Amino acid sequence: MDERQMLSQDEYMTRQTNIYNVEARENIWRRYIKEIPEDGYFLLPSCVLAVGYPGSEATIPRLFDLLDLDWNWNLKPESMCTCCSGIAYHGDVDTIESTLLTTARLWSVAQEAGYETIAVACVTSFGVHSECFDLYREETGLKQKIDKLLMEACGRKFELPRYIVHVSDVIYKHRLRLRDEFMTYQLIEKETGRPLRGVDHVGCHYNKLFPLERSLGGGEYCEVLSGMIKAWGGKEIDYPERRHCCGMGFRQCMLTPNRGFTAASVNKKMVSMDPFEPDFIVTNCPGCQVYLDKEQWAIKELKGKEYFIPVLTYMELAGLLMGWDPYDIVGIQFHTVPVEPLLDKIGIPYDESRSWLGKDGQTLPCLDELREATLAAGRTMRGIPLP
Amino acid sequence: MAKEEIKKGRTKPEDWPQDVYWKSGTYRERDGKASLDPARQCYPGQPSPPEDAVDEIDSPSEIPEEDLEPWFSREPSWHGRDAEKCRQYLDNLSDEEIINEYYKLRDEKVVWGGAYYYPNIKKLFLTPFEREKDRREIALWQKKYGKSETEEWYEEARDKSCVWWIENHLVAKHAFNSCMSCGTCTAACPAAEFYDYNPRLVMEIVQSRDEEKIVELLKSDTIWYCAQCGTCKLRCPRGNNPFAVISSLRQLSQLKGYHVYSTHGRQQYVGRHLWGGNYWNRGCSIYFRNTLLPFHLDFGPRFARYALNKDEMYRRVGGCPDMDGSMPGRKVHPDTLHQLRRLWQVGGTFVLWDQIEKYAREQAKEENMDIDDYFYKI
Repeated sequence: MDERQMLSQDEYMTRQTNIYNVEARENIWRRYIKEIPEDGYFLLPSCVLAVGYPGSEATIPRLFDLLDLDWNWNLKPESMCTCCSGIAYHGDVDTIESTLLTTARLWSVAQEAGYETIAVACVTSFGVHSECFDLYREETGLKQKIDKLLMEACGRKFELPRYIVHVSDVIYKHRLRLRDEFMTYQLIEKETGRPLRGVDHVGCHYNKLFPLERSLGGGEYCEVLSGMIKAWGGKEIDYPERRHCCGMGFRQCMLTPNRGFTAASVNKKMVSMDPFEPDFIVTNCPGCQVYLDKEQWAIKELKGKEYFIPVLTYMELAGLLMGWDPYDIVGIQFHTVPVEPLLDKIGIPYDESRSWLGKDGQTLPCLDELREATLAAGRTMRGIPLP
Repeated sequence: MAKEEIKKGRTKPEDWPQDVYWKSGTYRERDGKASLDPARQCYPGQPSPPEDAVDEIDSPSEIPEEDLEPWFSREPSWHGRDAEKCRQYLDNLSDEEIINEYYKLRDEKVVWGGAYYYPNIKKLFLTPFEREKDRREIALWQKKYGKSETEEWYEEARDKSCVWWIENHLVAKHAFNSCMSCGTCTAACPAAEFYDYNPRLVMEIVQSRDEEKIVELLKSDTIWYCAQCGTCKLRCPRGNNPFAVISSLRQLSQLKGYHVYSTHGRQQYVGRHLWGGNYWNRGCSIYFRNTLLPFHLDFGPRFARYALNKDEMYRRVGGCPDMDGSMPGRKVHPDTLHQLRRLWQVGGTFVLWDQIEKYAREQAKEENMDIDDYFYKI
């Protein structure tokens, strides 16, 4: 084997070319410090995560309870959360004022419950809340106008929230605590002791909209997910298209005739990351999660190439490393790219016969061809035998 | 077995005591009550059946998702839906009848797994019946509540020039200050790579303040290619926001009805009913059943298997598929939904929706097509 391939990427770069100082490079992100409060979060759920990965979303309150965090568990039933209207706004079916009012109502609900920190599960939400917050700063008189409209429409008052954080920020803040107190597995290959190579895919609206104020690490060196990978024993990969959009694109992915664009963007990322042999991809955006996962199947059908790198959300990763049941709690059966090969690498035990059961353990009806296809998917290229 | 032993990783998961809440990720108790009732996934105070209620159904798959009537069908007429019968039926219903029938179906509930399950929501979403109900209901709301200040602004803006819009729309006026046409946005743009799209040219046209050129831009496919990712905003050396300009132009295009001139633009009729219909009726942007299997074959066989048994699989991981509660798939409380609807009305969205509806109907009539077939054709 060529000696070059045996060095890690950082070692290769500094040894051969002295292009950059590894330590300084590791610390560049610290320029962009984001203040994340320790406790007291008003949790807002995600629409897209609910559609594709319900186990992932149900894991968020479980994680918060595990860390003994104060979140909005005691809301009155008539003040429940709604979507932030981000997808409607970026899909251009609602006006900016409607979006401003929807977010204002959510802030009002949070303040009524006594929380000054908004913690959102979705990156589009995070983008929309940040954009709305920014508009109040840019446009004079907007706050008064929205105050009046909000009072007229549903009799509520609101203030601008003190902090807007993403749930991945919260998990980043508590990543060492999760590792030290609760995790029994690490991102290390069981047989060889090699740290697993992880790709951190941060949602565009998290780090590209307001890199200085809102993202942990800025637009280029965003640290929120790579910090988690490193803390939990893995190694992050740097590759040319690291900050390329996944291609979800709102109207591009959700209207079927346009989805070729999404597949093309995912393909571009896959082609770029493939030489670095990642073991998994971790995302914090539900939209990215869905499309990086699903379009790998489309790429297989169109190109014949199976990349099949498992795509996980950060809470699924945390849950798996803590030993939570992969099918009952974390919900890896919802993934198109099978996650079982990754569990094999880490050494997490699982019982695959339980993957497609219903809520009380009963078998769900399925055609034989479909059952075989689901078991075969993702195994053929890597030579993993069928169970 | 001490928690310390477990923490230090000296034991295997199969040996852990089953009641250690943190091992399985169940919800923590506060004040003697579970913070989320894991069996019911409801907050205290949510509507829930009495403790001793018996399940009325074994599984939601007992209740068929499809209804044979053409106004509940999600197929176009060239796949067998009787468009004429559907149109006749819907046109003959009065406003009150259609609205009451919709909510009667929606709010029908059965007990399943110790909580209420609403079996008809899966029959109603994305159907001609729901679209007709939405149209009539919104017209009634406009009469009942009158126009807000924002709605009046949008109605005036509809008849003014494009250049006026760029200088006065809340998003457009803060989106760019001094574009120097460097092209960095285009170099970084993912859409520019795969589509015939150039954000630098769009910004140039907007800055030129040439009404004719802007109208031509609004009628073209160009502005609909943007993926709204924000890479242009990150890279712009002058702090401009090209994707917000695009967003503003898209709204203007729809207000003026120019969007129907382009292939991608007229898809907004679907967008209005897909996302807009979900918001209006379910308080979320994407309903978990929107990923219909025939349109998502690129999602693979594992997705197909999950799609055939969504309710059961949701419930297993702790979701609330078409049930009351706060977890994935939930049915939003009617009071919350009402508040959201009022906010959208007051924010001026009805003006946009009226325009989208109007131009879609005109185009469908020109093409001699039933409006629900138009929905599928585009």
